[in-house]
Amino acid sequence: MSRLKKKRRSARTHPAKKAAPLRVDPVIEAYKKDIDRTLIRESLKLTPEQRLNELMELQRFAEELRKAPRNES
Amino acid sequence: MTNFGSLLEILAKNGVEFILIGGVAATAHGSVRLTRDLDVVYRRTSENIGRLVKSLAPLRPSLRGAPVGLPFRFDQKTVESGLNFTLQTDLGALDLFGEITGGGRYEDLQSHTIQIQIFGVNCRCLKLRRLIEVKRAVGCPRDLEAIAELEVLFEESQRKNPRDN
Repeated sequence: MSRLKKKRRSARTHPAKKAAPLRVDPVIEAYKKDIDRTLIRESLKLTPEQRLNELMELQRFAEELRKAPRNES
Repeated sequence: MTNFGSLLEILAKNGVEFILIGGVAATAHGSVRLTRDLDVVYRRTSENIGRLVKSLAPLRPSLRGAPVGLPFRFDQKTVESGLNFTLQTDLGALDLFGEITGGGRYEDLQSHTIQIQIFGVNCRCLKLRRLIEVKRAVGCPRDLEAIAELEVLFEESQRKNPRDN
């Protein structure tokens, strides 16, 4: 049997196992509707190190905002 | 601000056995929520506590939120006598857990981790699925939104790589 045929047969008999789904909690399901999936999809394109660097940048920015002078208008 | 990279590097380069959990672990998995502290579960063997103390002592750890002047000495005896510590260090906020609700100790969590390479070091990070289970077990109302985000992350990661998590 050719290598390609073996590979195809193996893919049919051993498909990629999907992890068992999480237990459904109706309260969490309600919160899920408001999660921005576009941000998550963008984040998943990064490496863990890039994500942590972004987190530190965000922390820096939040700190700058906190320190920013405020004037009553 | 907490310098997550430097803290992780110091722990890993000193051979401390630890597992990344909490908000930073969530970020490593793809979460976009802001977190301010580094949470780790450390192995409670005498040797590992020795390495932990040696690596963190130069960062002058103090108890975060404790009354000013409360005596605190971060040494082997203190860590062996206690379990969980919320610390403020020169590199930022660091929470050390000997045990966590819904997850147990280092040894209980070890098989639910993945190795990630960040800032030039290898770290054990709690798997996304276990992270969700632990957060659910804690049952803190303010975590509901964070859990929802982690579950969306789980679904999205599953779409990309069904074998992961």
